[in-house]
Amino acid sequence: MSTSTTGAKRLGSSSGNPLIRAEGIWKIFGKNADRVIGTADAELSRAELRTKTGCVAAVRNVSFEVWPGEVFVVMGLSGSGKSTLVRTLIRLIEPTAGRVEIDGHDVTQASRDELLQLRRHTSSMVFQHFGLLAHRSVIDNVAFGLEVQGKSKAERLARAGEVLKLVGLEDAANQFPNELSGGMQQRVGLARAFAVDPKVMLYDEPFSALDPLIRRDMQDEVIRLQHETGKTMVFITHDLPEALRLGDRIAIMRDGRVVQLGTPEDLVGSPADDYVSNFVRDIPRSHVLTLRWIMREPAAGEADGPTLDVSTTVRNAVPVIAASERPVCAVENGRVVGVVDKEAVLMAIAGEGD
Amino acid sequence: MRGRKLAAVAGVLAVGAAAVLVVGSAGARSKASCGTVTLNEQAWAGSTANTYVAKAVLEGMGCKVKITQIAEIPVYQALANGKTDAVLEDWQHVDQYKQYISKQHTVVAGGPNGVVGHIGWYIPTYLMKAHPEFATWKGLKGKESLFKSPESGSQGMFLGGDPSYVQKDAQLIQALGLNFKFVSVGAEPAQVARWSQLYKQKKAVIFYWYTPQYLNTEYQLSEVKLPPRFKGCQDDAKSGGNVKQYKCAYDNTIIEKVFSKKFAGGGSPAYPVLKRFSWSNQDQEIVAKWIAGDHMNPDKAGKKWVAANKAKVNKWLGK
Amino acid sequence: MAVAGAAAQSLPSSLPAPWWRGRPGAAVLVVAGMLLSYFGWKHHWAWPAALEWNSFSPHLDRFQAWLSNNRNLPHPNIAFRIFNGFANFLDDLVSWLTRLFYYLKWSGTTALGTLVVLRFGGRKAALGTLAAFASFATLGLWDNSVQTFALMFAAVGMSLAVGMPLGVLAGRSATFNRAITPILDAMQIVPAFAYLMPVVILFSVGPGAAVVTTMIYAVPPAIRITALGIRGVAPNTVEAATALGATRWQVLSKVQLPLARRMLLLSVNQTILFALSMVVIAGLIGGTGLGDAVTNGLYTDPAFAIFAGAAIVIMAIALDRATEAMANRTDPAQRHLTAHKAHVLRAYTAACALVVVAAVVLGHVFGAGTVWSRWTAQDWLRTYVQRALDYIQNPGTFLFRNLTNPTGNFLVQHGIQPLRTFFIETPWPATFAGLVLIAFLLSGLRRAAIAAAMLFIVGLVGEWANAMDTFSQVLVATVLTVIVGLAIGVWAAESRTVSRVVRPVNDVLQTLPQLVYIIPFIYLMPVSGVPGVVASVLYASPVMIRLVQRGIEDVSPESVEAATSFGATRAQVLLKVKIPLARDAIMLGVNQAIIMVLAVVVIGGLVGSGALGYEVAQGLQRNAFGQGVIASIAILALGIALDRVTQGRGAAGARSES
Ligand SMILES: Nc1ncnc2c1ncn2[C@@H]1O[C@H](COP(=O)(O)OP(=O)(O)OP(=O)(O)O)[C@@H](O)[C@H]1O
Ligand SMILES: [Mg+2]
Repeated sequence: MSTSTTGAKRLGSSSGNPLIRAEGIWKIFGKNADRVIGTADAELSRAELRTKTGCVAAVRNVSFEVWPGEVFVVMGLSGSGKSTLVRTLIRLIEPTAGRVEIDGHDVTQASRDELLQLRRHTSSMVFQHFGLLAHRSVIDNVAFGLEVQGKSKAERLARAGEVLKLVGLEDAANQFPNELSGGMQQRVGLARAFAVDPKVMLYDEPFSALDPLIRRDMQDEVIRLQHETGKTMVFITHDLPEALRLGDRIAIMRDGRVVQLGTPEDLVGSPADDYVSNFVRDIPRSHVLTLRWIMREPAAGEADGPTLDVSTTVRNAVPVIAASERPVCAVENGRVVGVVDKEAVLMAIAGEGD
Repeated sequence: MRGRKLAAVAGVLAVGAAAVLVVGSAGARSKASCGTVTLNEQAWAGSTANTYVAKAVLEGMGCKVKITQIAEIPVYQALANGKTDAVLEDWQHVDQYKQYISKQHTVVAGGPNGVVGHIGWYIPTYLMKAHPEFATWKGLKGKESLFKSPESGSQGMFLGGDPSYVQKDAQLIQALGLNFKFVSVGAEPAQVARWSQLYKQKKAVIFYWYTPQYLNTEYQLSEVKLPPRFKGCQDDAKSGGNVKQYKCAYDNTIIEKVFSKKFAGGGSPAYPVLKRFSWSNQDQEIVAKWIAGDHMNPDKAGKKWVAANKAKVNKWLGK
Repeated sequence: MAVAGAAAQSLPSSLPAPWWRGRPGAAVLVVAGMLLSYFGWKHHWAWPAALEWNSFSPHLDRFQAWLSNNRNLPHPNIAFRIFNGFANFLDDLVSWLTRLFYYLKWSGTTALGTLVVLRFGGRKAALGTLAAFASFATLGLWDNSVQTFALMFAAVGMSLAVGMPLGVLAGRSATFNRAITPILDAMQIVPAFAYLMPVVILFSVGPGAAVVTTMIYAVPPAIRITALGIRGVAPNTVEAATALGATRWQVLSKVQLPLARRMLLLSVNQTILFALSMVVIAGLIGGTGLGDAVTNGLYTDPAFAIFAGAAIVIMAIALDRATEAMANRTDPAQRHLTAHKAHVLRAYTAACALVVVAAVVLGHVFGAGTVWSRWTAQDWLRTYVQRALDYIQNPGTFLFRNLTNPTGNFLVQHGIQPLRTFFIETPWPATFAGLVLIAFLLSGLRRAAIAAAMLFIVGLVGEWANAMDTFSQVLVATVLTVIVGLAIGVWAAESRTVSRVVRPVNDVLQTLPQLVYIIPFIYLMPVSGVPGVVASVLYASPVMIRLVQRGIEDVSPESVEAATSFGATRAQVLLKVKIPLARDAIMLGVNQAIIMVLAVVVIGGLVGSGALGYEVAQGLQRNAFGQGVIASIAILALGIALDRVTQGRGAAGARSES
């Protein structure tokens, strides 16, 4: 756990331009869907809308930005509209309304050709059920994106071989998907997405179909890859631990809306509503909350205790705080920004489980 | 990778095909004088007899003969665009004559083939012997129930002919006021099956039938006389109208030959021979019996008849 | 929506209502009403002339004459020249193929056929192919078989060339699929007799026209199965390719087509079988080969017709097994080529090609015939077949006197005849309303509306009485089919031995030209209508049997286990668990059977089934184009009505749910 909040995170910077900007995205399935938006019907609950018009509002007025190098997680229960949302980003599903911009290009206005270029070079996607091509060997699967781009055979096989090495499947290059385990298949899916060297990786619940141990492995793999390549990621999941482990920021969706968007700490520390707090109830707060969350203004003369980085989780801070007589100083960029005392730690830990 | 193998197979096939074409085009066309004559054979035995006798004669002259087997009506289109050259037995398809011979000029009339067809109502001879009154239709009146069958209820059953043949029996029954139910059992083989089955059981049956027909040598049948013909009397119920106009016996049908215009005008030495082709009902019945009754190979049957009837054949050949 | 509402209302609430309160009770009431009006007002209300459109038929006749006159001008216009060119192209194609086989000699043809199947389908299928060639030779029908084979090859090739692209379109576009489905239905329901004449006028006669006729029937399965294959490709693979920026063409060529390969080969397989079932009809307009042998044999030499029929069956079964084996072997998800394997296979292919070439060369060197004619068992077989036919034709035998004849008479007197009288003589408003009401009870409002419209069309074209006649025969045949199908299907599902015996019998019955197995029944049950009914039962039963068997076998083992654990006997398991759970499959069987029965009852017009089939046959053979087309329209309308009515509520409910 300790790596999760320090290692991969915070690579993103909120300076400069966001890589992805989504503004007011709607997706309504059904006939005359576009007539719903802007009317009072749009405010109805999903079930009411469905009985009234027969339409299903899968995504409702969602906006967010993803910064370069950031891992942006979307999470929510089944049916909350996550898959639909991520597909609207590259128009695998046409959004009913809203605007998407990726790497400075307006996706929603893009011509078919521009869209193809975007899908070929800027983004790539990993799917829940892998979506591998059963009639192609592993290496041909990995090379598929490059083949579609029209790269020469030698070039694409060389690149595919490299990427396979990256995911540790170089030995399986000539096998076929149905000869591989689920975990290995998803590694192929990962490799296929990586092979085109995209700026943005989109993951739609890539590990839900895997059993827990393998899932753990794969998460580590993603963290490692992200670490090594610094890709920007949009990651869909319905598994909170996974979201917390991977995400720099997490958007929680319910019935097509984003009900809270924030860092893991924000969610665990101050859930926006009952829906979110139900989610985070079983998460040990000390594993997520950092010192930033529980520190207070240093009183005069307190700034000389032992120091810890402000992003240290409570759990990791406990030994130091417990051993120290004095409140511990939280440091950011060499500057003391706050202090944490035993009492605050105990409160944080005690808050778990309610 | 698979593609390459398929390509290999395709390659072999293509080479083979090419070879065939070369060989095929070199081998054809000898005997420029007569060339190939295409005759159309229809499904009944009489037509097979005509066709194979004509074939034997034409082959004797050095023609090549091809045989097509196209149904009676569609064959007119085949004649019209020269896909077949001659039909040697046509039972007077007046509509087609109008359209193809008079109007389009794509088919030419070839004159009678010598056979005279006759359609009528027939009963087994044993029945005629037991009921001499059945010699004319009047004798049937009141006795219809003798011909009862499961599908005719209380009425007598009249067995209709093949739907493709010229007929008016339903109308005739009505016009004569007979208590028969008109039952069609469909194509000729089915009709034959039906009445021959009853014949073998020596039961009563009355049905549409015709001569010449090779089965007439196998079964003893007698004709029931229908009212005499009058002016304007019709035979083909297809034209509709009042049933009164059908109240007469069927006319004798002069069986015609028809040729494709292309063949007739093409200067083939086979044309005058086929045009002179003509033989009698008995001749045809004999050959038909050999083929259909005794299962003789039709080519053999044709040659056999030609060998035995030199005089007639020589007349066709113009010698 | 309305359907769902009506269904919901009539659904039993918590308490199970007695049967007479439910739908069966309502159906009984409807029938009682019809009976009442039959006894009260029989004969009084024939379909009124005011509701008939009589001038339609002469219009059609004039249209045909116009077509013919314009087509046979010395210089026909461009449209006819296109038709001409196409027909000539097809003619040439067939004659090339025939010449190719002749050039290969019998030795090369056999080697080619067998080795292609060996290479791509495996040893078992290749043995079957070899046996098929041997039996053509044995039957003395090699020449006819080769001609038919060339015709098939051309027809199947053209059907696939047309059907596969359309199938791909239909697989990718739901709108297009919806648009062509009714057209495909029509192409399969309208009897071939009906379009023979227009085909002849447009394409003249000969192999080309035969190919076109065959295509009309064989293209629909090619389209349907291709579409099914394309739609069957997992959407997530398509999505994955799209997400990587594949163009539509790339998705099609690199993902959908390769993944659908097995289904594509299956569509080849089905197209072949459909095409083969048309050879007999193609024979009527100049298709050469086995079809001709059947039709002409019927008139002059039934034994020969039976041989030709047998050759058709053998060809169908061999082709079916061969293409099925090829389809199974090329399933891309199952079979992977390594470089080594590929190498071996390449050598194998080369070896096979060499053997074929060797066979051809040897054939030429030793002067083998273009066709096998040296030794056949035809005469020897004929004595037996003829003896069997003689037995059948003899009305003095025990079989005839005590079994078949009384059965046939019974069917006519207590089945077909009373039903026919009932449907024809009941006042038409009562029949009409009764049938529509029953449609409503069985299949809901929407389908009842379609059925009503179709029945009205039947009356409008002036075929009410004939259609009711045909309908009564269809009804009798369907009831018999369901009884036979249920009994044998259940039995086959319960016993592996029976299942093993039934399968080949089913195959034969489905591929044997109907005219061939009508032959014996013409003699055995010589009452009009019965041979047609019996033949249609024989033709439709295999499908019913298969669906019932599959439905019962597919019942989940857990349900059976659960019932067994409560101590249910085998019979109880069957009656209370398996058959109820297999209801959908059985309903589907009834639906399919009724359409197939209709098709054969129509062909039965040639052997005494009368009614619509007779009208169509006469339309073709006596050149009454209008009459034929009108009867065909009535058949199509009746077919659609029957199809919709028997689709049942299950499908309706499911559809309005989603
Ligand atoms: N093509 C479609 N047509 C109609 N409704 C759809 C369609 N696709 C999705 N929906 C509906 O939209 C809603 C959101 O679906 P979506 O697949 O985005 O949910 P999700 O959050 O990804 O769920 P899961 O975790 O199960 O994958 C659901 O109610 C679903 O039924
Ligand atoms: Mg999803």
